[in-house]
Amino acid sequence: MVSFTVNGVSQDVDVPLGRRLSHVLREELNLRGTKVGCDSGDCGACTVLVDGDAICACLTPVAQVAGRAVETVEGLAKTGPTALQKAFLRHGATQCGICTPGMVMAAEALLRCNTKPDRAAVETALGGVLCRCTGYTKIIDAVLDAAGRGTGPEPSAGCAVGARVERLDGAAKVMGNEAFGADVVEKSALIIRAVRSPYAAASFAFGNLEQWAEARGVRVFTAKDIPGINCFGVIERFADQPALAETNARMAGEAVALVAGSEDVMAALSFEDFPVIWTVKDPHLSLKDAAASGAAVLHKSRGDNQLIAGVVKRGDVKVALAEAAHVVEGSLRTGHVEHAYIEPEAGLAWMEGDVLNIRACTQAPVLDRDSTAKVLGLPVERVRIRPAATGGGFGAKLDLSVQPLLGLVTLLTGQPSKMVFTRSESMVASTKRHPAQMHAQVGADVDGQLVGMVFDGDFDTGAYASWGPTVAVRVPVHASGPYVVPNYSAEARAIHTNGPVSGAFRGFGVPQAAALQEQLFDQLADQIGMDRLAFRQKNALRDGVTTVCGQALSGVGIGACLQALQSRWDAALISVAGFNASTEGKARGVGVASCWYGCGNTALPNPSTMRIGISAEGTICLHQGAMDIGQGANTVIAQLAADALGVPVHQIKLIDADTAVTPDCGKTSASRQTVVSGKAAVLAATALRAKILQMANMGSEAEISLSGGVLTLIEGVARRDISLRQLPQAAYGYVLWAEETYDPPTEVLDENGQGAPYAVYGYGAQLAEVEVDLALGTVKVLKVTAAHDLGKVINPLLAEGQIEGGIAQGLGMALMEEFHPGKTENLHDYLIPTIGDVPEVVSHLIEVPDPEGPMGAKGLGEHVLIPTAPAILNAIRHATGAVLTQLPARPDRVLAAIQAAMS
Amino acid sequence: MIPAEFEYYRPKDMAGVLSLLEEHGDDARVMAGGHSLIPMMKLRMADVPHLIDLQDVGGLSNIEINSDSIHIGALVTQSDIVEHAGLADVAPILREAALQIADPQVRYMGTIGGNVANGDPGNDMPGLMQCLDAVFTVAGADGERQIPARDFYEAAYMTAREDDEVLTSVTIAHPQGGYAYEKQKRKIGDYATAAAAVQITKEGGTCVSASIAMTNLSDTPVYSEAAGAALVGTSLNDAALSAAIAAMWGDIDPTEDNRGPIAFKNHVAGVILRRALERAWSRA
Repeated sequence: MVSFTVNGVSQDVDVPLGRRLSHVLREELNLRGTKVGCDSGDCGACTVLVDGDAICACLTPVAQVAGRAVETVEGLAKTGPTALQKAFLRHGATQCGICTPGMVMAAEALLRCNTKPDRAAVETALGGVLCRCTGYTKIIDAVLDAAGRGTGPEPSAGCAVGARVERLDGAAKVMGNEAFGADVVEKSALIIRAVRSPYAAASFAFGNLEQWAEARGVRVFTAKDIPGINCFGVIERFADQPALAETNARMAGEAVALVAGSEDVMAALSFEDFPVIWTVKDPHLSLKDAAASGAAVLHKSRGDNQLIAGVVKRGDVKVALAEAAHVVEGSLRTGHVEHAYIEPEAGLAWMEGDVLNIRACTQAPVLDRDSTAKVLGLPVERVRIRPAATGGGFGAKLDLSVQPLLGLVTLLTGQPSKMVFTRSESMVASTKRHPAQMHAQVGADVDGQLVGMVFDGDFDTGAYASWGPTVAVRVPVHASGPYVVPNYSAEARAIHTNGPVSGAFRGFGVPQAAALQEQLFDQLADQIGMDRLAFRQKNALRDGVTTVCGQALSGVGIGACLQALQSRWDAALISVAGFNASTEGKARGVGVASCWYGCGNTALPNPSTMRIGISAEGTICLHQGAMDIGQGANTVIAQLAADALGVPVHQIKLIDADTAVTPDCGKTSASRQTVVSGKAAVLAATALRAKILQMANMGSEAEISLSGGVLTLIEGVARRDISLRQLPQAAYGYVLWAEETYDPPTEVLDENGQGAPYAVYGYGAQLAEVEVDLALGTVKVLKVTAAHDLGKVINPLLAEGQIEGGIAQGLGMALMEEFHPGKTENLHDYLIPTIGDVPEVVSHLIEVPDPEGPMGAKGLGEHVLIPTAPAILNAIRHATGAVLTQLPARPDRVLAAIQAAMS
Repeated sequence: MIPAEFEYYRPKDMAGVLSLLEEHGDDARVMAGGHSLIPMMKLRMADVPHLIDLQDVGGLSNIEINSDSIHIGALVTQSDIVEHAGLADVAPILREAALQIADPQVRYMGTIGGNVANGDPGNDMPGLMQCLDAVFTVAGADGERQIPARDFYEAAYMTAREDDEVLTSVTIAHPQGGYAYEKQKRKIGDYATAAAAVQITKEGGTCVSASIAMTNLSDTPVYSEAAGAALVGTSLNDAALSAAIAAMWGDIDPTEDNRGPIAFKNHVAGVILRRALERAWSRA
């Protein structure tokens, strides 16, 4: 028995004394605001206060707090958010929310002993808590303004779009009562753990599973137990991945069996003597191995291990480059990058009648439903996905993780089941950013006008297809950057290896390609003798000019973005020159890079459907099925719907994604939710408004208000009151409702990649200022100035948060992130930026309206990461002359490149 | 998941600790803050059926500053080192180094005893203790004995402490002269790619003594006597610095990993040592 106080209340817990405090708080005391992200003291999500000091609950055996006072996030907010928690909301300091309780507690400890901390003190105090969404800037702002008062604006009818509205779903996140996948409580649930391949390539056979299971009081499930088709994939045509491998493991960490049992048994169970016999094969661990002639193929139908190639060709690039006045070429190699969301995959499954219910983190509920149903041999009506709050995704939670495994156990046992990945399991089993080996050549005429570009890239897609086809198709469309390139030839191939599955990661291969293309543009500008920003401006895409796919665009904002950087560019060049003239041993540099990114699927249907209804009691419900994984869809889409309907946004009640109650809004991917689901919401809300106006026989300018079950319409002196209770029930429990679908118009690409792959693009450019230690090769990013064209800024607060978070991830990709299977499967060997590693960020939000997007809006989520790495690389080269040919730009590589540049 | 079940003990005095160690031998491990041991147990790098928590043992949490020495109990945390009122006056290098360890959460729990006794070559305190010529006191069934920090580390996680002994305190003579703890890491909170601890004294413009130890460049911390000797009698001019660095290179043995190849680590060790020496010299 251990006795201590938690949030002022005495607790006596009867648990093994070595059990961790995090586990005791969550499982024994039901205080699930304390999150577990890594379980080894690296992420700080479990930060609680013990006698006032911020500590990691996951590293603290409960016996160590005997007689002491423990405080958790639940203890702060007795009646509502505290001033600190309100500051987190007001400043947009919470996105997915998984790190927020730890951040809040670390900040609370600081503020108790230092009521007016400066930025350095905040960075120090919060240095042990990792956030993967925000880029930390808004967290720092919140802590510095913790004593400030008030909340964000609550705009009146018609004024939501453009306002800095606080997240509508934010209160639960800052108060710690948001329920993520691991927070769903079901004491009777069987706990599932997976047996995974320790080898990158091996065949296997099981021994006596029944005997092993019986001796331990557990059940074992293998591929033989799968009732449906043991093959899933995010793109049905390329489906190739088994939920449980059958006889062959194609990657380290692939699940081959499940073990399910009671919590106590599973906690102590060792897999050391699990009856499986491995026959190890020679794996293909690199693109070179996989492409070698005569190399064994991973999938029979894919000779040469090539999954797919994407091509875009326009004009005659050979002639153009041969005749070009200036030509540069170069190569770049990138590694695996891990998404490193702070929430490992987790969820719960249970049966309701004959319907399998799954509550897990996800970016794609309908895809989860369809794939899980296929694997389990169920009609889709018998699978209901009710997503948990999702603690970051960035692309990897588009793929199935726990869903088919939970479904299998619950379907076959009839019992609820729960599965929570460990940090290392999350890192071995989830998808990664594609490693790329790229080469490109770019030419310009004497005046600095681009004349042609060749791009060729191999992308390591790993053991299974996942989003490899998307990367291969998307990269050639985007590898030109947002520039006019009249002669162009680009090919990208997705190649199978026995490495981790490479899937979707913020940008789908475009960040890798941009990192090469933008570096070459700098070299080309230097060769021509042009200012690097002016060179980009001269070649920037413009309205009506065709892209490399032959698509003429409208609402092209890249020129405006580059223009917005001009003043900082001029100032930074001067200040850097001054610093370098007066400093030895260090050099500063300035770099710029652009991005463009097509929103949604590439030349494929991509619909979203939204429903909005008003109940007899007078509640306006928006069936918002577009998963909010922290990026803010819940708020932004509600703002759009509110203005289209003509009511205050805070009057809208969100119905969260649930395949039984929200129409299909597709996947949270490819920066499509604001554009596609947002437009569906605008259409649905507009249709509902039209119905109301028609019912009242009012004109389109009538003002609608809703109070106490009465809809009031006023137009000039005319007024109509509609008592909602007197209306007949229409459908879905509403007296008034509308549902609309929007599918962005695209055209199929021809064999040369010509057509209209996307209906809406977004644009951006970033300027990085860095300082390089010339002796050590270390790079400190001092400041990033970002200009992004959003078409229409729906919520500046959330837009800035996307930009700052994307920059932090881009900085990680540029400088430190490199996943190696077996070596970096935790958050201390795999590095992501901490609060002390991110630069000051200044954002310029540009509005060049898109004719297709909702109220002119464009996507943003992925765009923001693309220019960061190349801007940093260009700044390093500007400072030192070093040309990096491999990412990340680790100090040893930077130093070698500096030395190469000097010799 | 915390590794399986283990027995947890919290004896009230050192005699209780030692009798448990005697009883369970290699199967038992003492724990101070737990911030080295618990992660190792979780990763199953350490299998510990019997865990002995020191926190109720009295007399291990004090920092005593005597006229010529400093005595630091094993349970003193990194945070205690950072915040202690008088310590930074007599041994400022301790605070400078402690602030470069991990993050606040870890510094509140992580102890001097755990950091020096664990034998992790990435830890910062062992090299610092070698630089300061600290003496570790270990208690065992036959009483206490003293082990100089410079003789304590044998290999990664292997030290001169016997399995049935407990490291109870660290004693340091008041450091003299200028100091610097210089650390190159890949990001905030990371272990060092290379770190150098330096104490240096001078008379007039001449170096009288120099003590140098390096971290994370071998499977143990490296006290480089030769590097210090190369500086004595010099004015720390460029030739002397280069000689000290060359001597240091003779004593370290880095391996290639995610922090870089061997040649790079040697290079960084040289740069870091040079910076530490220059900074310490300017403070001497």
